[in-house]
Amino acid sequence: MIEMKNVSKTFDRYQAVENVNLSIEKGSIYGLIGSNGAGKTTLLKLLAGIYRQDRGEVSINEQAVYENLDQKQKLFFIPDQPYFLPHYTIKQMAQFYKSIYPSWSDERFQKLAKWFDIDLKKRIHTFSKGWQRQAAFILAFSTLPQILILDEPMDGLDPVVRKKVKNLMIQDVADREMTILISSHNLREIEDICDHIGIIHRGSLLLEKELDDLKSDIHKIQVAYKEGMPEDSLEGLYMLHREKRGSVFICIVRGKEEKIAEQIRKTKPVIFDLLPLTLEEIFIYEMGDIGYAIKNVIV
Amino acid sequence: MFELDMRSRKPIYEQLVDKLKELIINEVLKPDEQLPSVRTLAQQLTINPNTIQKAYRELENQSYIYSLPGKGSFVNSFNLVKDSEKLTNIKKELEKNILEALYLGVTAKELIHLIEELDASKEGGDKDDRNEKR
Repeated sequence: MIEMKNVSKTFDRYQAVENVNLSIEKGSIYGLIGSNGAGKTTLLKLLAGIYRQDRGEVSINEQAVYENLDQKQKLFFIPDQPYFLPHYTIKQMAQFYKSIYPSWSDERFQKLAKWFDIDLKKRIHTFSKGWQRQAAFILAFSTLPQILILDEPMDGLDPVVRKKVKNLMIQDVADREMTILISSHNLREIEDICDHIGIIHRGSLLLEKELDDLKSDIHKIQVAYKEGMPEDSLEGLYMLHREKRGSVFICIVRGKEEKIAEQIRKTKPVIFDLLPLTLEEIFIYEMGDIGYAIKNVIV
Repeated sequence: MFELDMRSRKPIYEQLVDKLKELIINEVLKPDEQLPSVRTLAQQLTINPNTIQKAYRELENQSYIYSLPGKGSFVNSFNLVKDSEKLTNIKKELEKNILEALYLGVTAKELIHLIEELDASKEGGDKDDRNEKR
């Protein structure tokens, strides 16, 4: 169980994270999404014990993380640009991690190296971006961490490798109840594997929910009527967005599916569709609701 | 065993529940047959094991499956639930299609006539089936 209570962090005068409360259950895959510069990376680094918070508590299993060796041995953090010691080969990096992580598994390391088909004796800095990231994953999964923290993990990986990495994650979550925290902009990527989602904007956590609940609470509806839209048809519905394309109305509505469908059907529309939203759309409309909207700008 | 549509808007959890129901109703998964373990299915489909757990729990609540601690999940042999579920599905589908037909200008009378005709031919159809079996 990972917990953050009223956590704040400032850099000079810039407030990067403000009063964040967050909790992640063991064995869950948690996706952190947010606008650019929202404080995602800062949040991850606080959780990984790299930064010290100015205020509040950051804890794993009720123990503070910062400067806590016991806890840090159980977690692995892959930053958005994986870091390796200069001129090290993967094999040397493996020796290094082996000396730090008591849970390191040589057997797994060999298997992973074979599976990813990577040259262990080549210096990592000569690798391409994608290969470097694969090397980071091999090393991370060889430490058998209880908590895996990933900042933009799929960046620069091809679809085959993505699938491999996802498969590894799933294996460890299913077998060892590993907890994963992922931040990403690629919402499609996150949508597939996460069960919980947190949305962060300007340093504060906007919402934190189970993905399925998030999705069942917001819908896209398309309606058309023979003679224009009746005035009262959408009364009492929580509307996030509404637009008209030709004679079809497209609305984004919050609420329970059955209730919305029932109300709209009563008004006898000619066309009526109710669709769940993709995570990407949810993100856009939730952000729009607090004023971070996409405006059509001509430059 | 089956594929999920990762690009669909429908939540994976719902797709999973529906897919498994379909397999159980159509008896692709036979009564008392063991369902794949959460781990295997998660690996096969590359989806979150928690999602599968949740889908299994939902199916258990709706008594499609039962679980034995330490052994796994199995298909329930209780047919009544399946039939009633099938019926509601068919009714929903019909409602949609009939509404469409009405909008397209088919009269209620014509529809009733059609139903009566089908009902009459159903008797014949049954007989044919029986003949085939012989």
